[in-house]
Amino acid sequence: MPLLKTGPLLKDGRLVGEDAFQPVADDAPLPASGAVLISYARWQAEKDQLGGRNSPLGISLPNTVDVLGFGPEAERFDLIVLNFPKFSDGRAYSQARLLRERFGYAGELRATGHVLQDQLWHMQRSGFDAFEIPREDAAEAFATAMQSFSHVYQPAADGRVSALKQRLAASRKKDAAE
Amino acid sequence: MAKAPKLDSQPQVVTANDLKSGDVVYLTKVASWSRRIADASVVANVEAGAALLAIAEAQAKMNIVVAPYLIPVDASSMPPKPIQYREVIRADGPTTETRPAA
Amino acid sequence: MYQYDQIDQTLVDERVAQFRDQVARRLSGEISEDEFKPLRLQNGLYLQLHAYMLRIAIPYGTLSARQLRGLAQIGCKYDRGWGHFTTRQNLQYNWIRLEDTADALADLAKIQMHAIQTSGNCIRNTTTDQFAGAAYDEIEDPRVWCEIIRQWSTFHPEFSFLPRKFKIAVTGSPNDRAAVRVHDIGLRMHKNATGETGFEVIVGGGLGRTPFIGKTIRDFLPRQDLLSYLEAILRVYNQFGRRDNIYKARIKILVHEIGIDTMREKVEEEFTATKDGALKLPQEAIDQIAAQFAPPAFEKLGGVAAEYANAFRTDFEFGLWARRNTFKHKQPGYSIVTISLKKEGEAPGDAKAEQMTAVADLAERYSFGEIRVTHEQNLVLPHVKQADLPALFRALKAYDLATPNVGLASDIIACPGLDYCALANARSIPVAQQIALRFKNWERAHDIGELKIKISGCINACGHHHVGHIGILGVDKAGEEFYQITLGGSADDQAAIGDLIGPSLNVRDTVEAIDTLVEAYLRLRKSSDERFLDTYRRVGLAPFKEAVYAVA
Ligand code: HEM
Ligand code: SF4
Repeated sequence: MPLLKTGPLLKDGRLVGEDAFQPVADDAPLPASGAVLISYARWQAEKDQLGGRNSPLGISLPNTVDVLGFGPEAERFDLIVLNFPKFSDGRAYSQARLLRERFGYAGELRATGHVLQDQLWHMQRSGFDAFEIPREDAAEAFATAMQSFSHVYQPAADGRVSALKQRLAASRKKDAAE
Repeated sequence: MAKAPKLDSQPQVVTANDLKSGDVVYLTKVASWSRRIADASVVANVEAGAALLAIAEAQAKMNIVVAPYLIPVDASSMPPKPIQYREVIRADGPTTETRPAA
Repeated sequence: MYQYDQIDQTLVDERVAQFRDQVARRLSGEISEDEFKPLRLQNGLYLQLHAYMLRIAIPYGTLSARQLRGLAQIGCKYDRGWGHFTTRQNLQYNWIRLEDTADALADLAKIQMHAIQTSGNCIRNTTTDQFAGAAYDEIEDPRVWCEIIRQWSTFHPEFSFLPRKFKIAVTGSPNDRAAVRVHDIGLRMHKNATGETGFEVIVGGGLGRTPFIGKTIRDFLPRQDLLSYLEAILRVYNQFGRRDNIYKARIKILVHEIGIDTMREKVEEEFTATKDGALKLPQEAIDQIAAQFAPPAFEKLGGVAAEYANAFRTDFEFGLWARRNTFKHKQPGYSIVTISLKKEGEAPGDAKAEQMTAVADLAERYSFGEIRVTHEQNLVLPHVKQADLPALFRALKAYDLATPNVGLASDIIACPGLDYCALANARSIPVAQQIALRFKNWERAHDIGELKIKISGCINACGHHHVGHIGILGVDKAGEEFYQITLGGSADDQAAIGDLIGPSLNVRDTVEAIDTLVEAYLRLRKSSDERFLDTYRRVGLAPFKEAVYAVA
């Protein structure tokens, strides 16, 4: 899968000017130093050489990769890019949650591909913290979209407390006060 | 959904749905849209059909209508009558009053 | 009944605001139809043949009188004074303007209703037994679990872009009235050997192009693990369900292709990793929701009410109706009443605003303000005192709502078909109307007894034709409307997919064939206790087939 750069990068709700990670094609030599972004295929092929590299390493995972297999290697990376070939293909949401919640991945988790404003809410709840968005002027709309809802109904990768648990806590507090 | 027949040199009109209301509309001779098929611009060959559709598609891009397409009609009477029963229902509205078996 | 708190209300209001913005972006041309379509579909807004159609969720089919009255008002304000109740326990408005949708949704939000996840490839409205909380044979009120599922599945960040739509049904009774075996996930409550209540989990059922009866993935799931287990199934499906072909994208195909055992292994692996996590349900949280479904303040009644016994003796029509349209309640002295929306000759499931308002009023007067919507496109007053049945009957009659045909041949399920639906091959409603008129004679209809006729206008099977005792499917044959007939389908505990009887027929011959099939049944049955379905199961397809094609 090619390392697509579709547009500006939105991180923590802000536009970042320059992506620190330089994408490197599978057949191109790796620069001796600096943060690079490689494909999953290259990682599979060159794990041994790449493992010892000292500068930051990013990987782009196709959405067909079974994260249960890849997960244990996740902590080796500083950036994991997950792909949305079409907005309607939601496999990367599961990959993201598994990486964050099951494998404790704490580095940058970036969404790329068909990333639309109306999906940002779901993406950040699933554990993404960076988004390649289509147009720079959309950044503001994107940032508001991230605040679409004041509550959540279910636990996910963002650590928010579900409505069910909020109500439970409220009633326990009331009971304790009585 | 029943497949639209391949159109050649038969009488045809362009239909779509109005973006704001969703109403069934037909492209008229003056490139506006009417809710009545009687107002539709009827053409009778492939090139004229394609030209009509191009106008309609431009208007879809301008967010006036949604998903325009050509349909064959019987133009021997007025108003023109669509050939496909799906289009007859679109033109006349639901048939859900009880009517005797066809 | 469940009442929204501040959290629920805020979320629905925020959703309206979000959709209002999406519609505005479309109307201003900022986004194209291609970009808007998935957004409107996530909020139940379809573009149909004649207009936009808005599908309103009726969570697990339960409505308050206030909500039903509100739906009637919204139907008058934004539609043409109608609502259409569907087999998914939802309501559809067929004549909505795009410009008005945000306002309609804001009005809906005021009565704690919405169109969230009523279409799109997400977890849809969870359906259940229409008699939940009232039926004599129920183990536990399944709506408690439906509400827990509703909350968990609403705006689920991981499961909003599944390979395909996802439907869950729950039954709390051993007699399945929720068709759990033909849903993506079916949950059947039962007790294990130690008397603990839990769920049998069934996965991979469904109708549509490739009908499947669901398979049991787990015999007994403890209650506190319900959400972790559902999440495990959905996670496996989201990653491994097919996305290359829309017709192969439902979970039923995944289960069929990898096999139920492999599916179980994958789900159990996922479940083992998450079951003690944040989704585990504390008993107190279950209790909090359950408290909202506490039974109403029933009176302690004994014996048979005099009014009821009298009316049975003196009023023949009442007796007919009471026998057909009421069901045994768990509380002595009460009955469950089904209000038929199938007056012969009317469009199945359609209700006029006046009728909705009348039912709302009657619910307040006679049924603790509660109404249910059935997947057979009827309404239910769940808690009616038997003493009130005669008065209720008279009131319903005044609104053409007392047709005594529940479960009979004229109680037909029909999808919107080509009169409304952009995907249809053929019309459904007029066929249903014509067939129903054939069974207008009550003597004949009651003699025939239970007979479920279900009609879909195309292979998507919104009218459940596969599980009709008689199923009718509209097809397009060289530009003409034709219909295929299937026999022997059933959606109950012995769920079965119907068998095709032969070549498709035109409208007139189809209506005629249904009559012929019924006549054949009357000849073939052993006694009047043997239902159409039983006779079919005993004698098979051949005699029926012969009857139809010999005359055709
Ligand atoms: C009028 C607009 C409607 C459209 C465009 C529509 C579209 C569809 C489609 C495409 C499917 C097939 C999905 C699949 O198999 O993957 C389907 C299934 C279904 N729909 Fe509809 N539908 C409509 C109305 C209704 C109505 C009015 C009802 C209830 C009466 C309904 C209930 C269902 C049910 C029960 C299924 C099949 C069960 C299953 O999901 O496997 N739909 N619909
Ligand atoms: S079965 Fe077909 S015709 Fe009927 S409502 Fe569904 S999609 Fe439309």
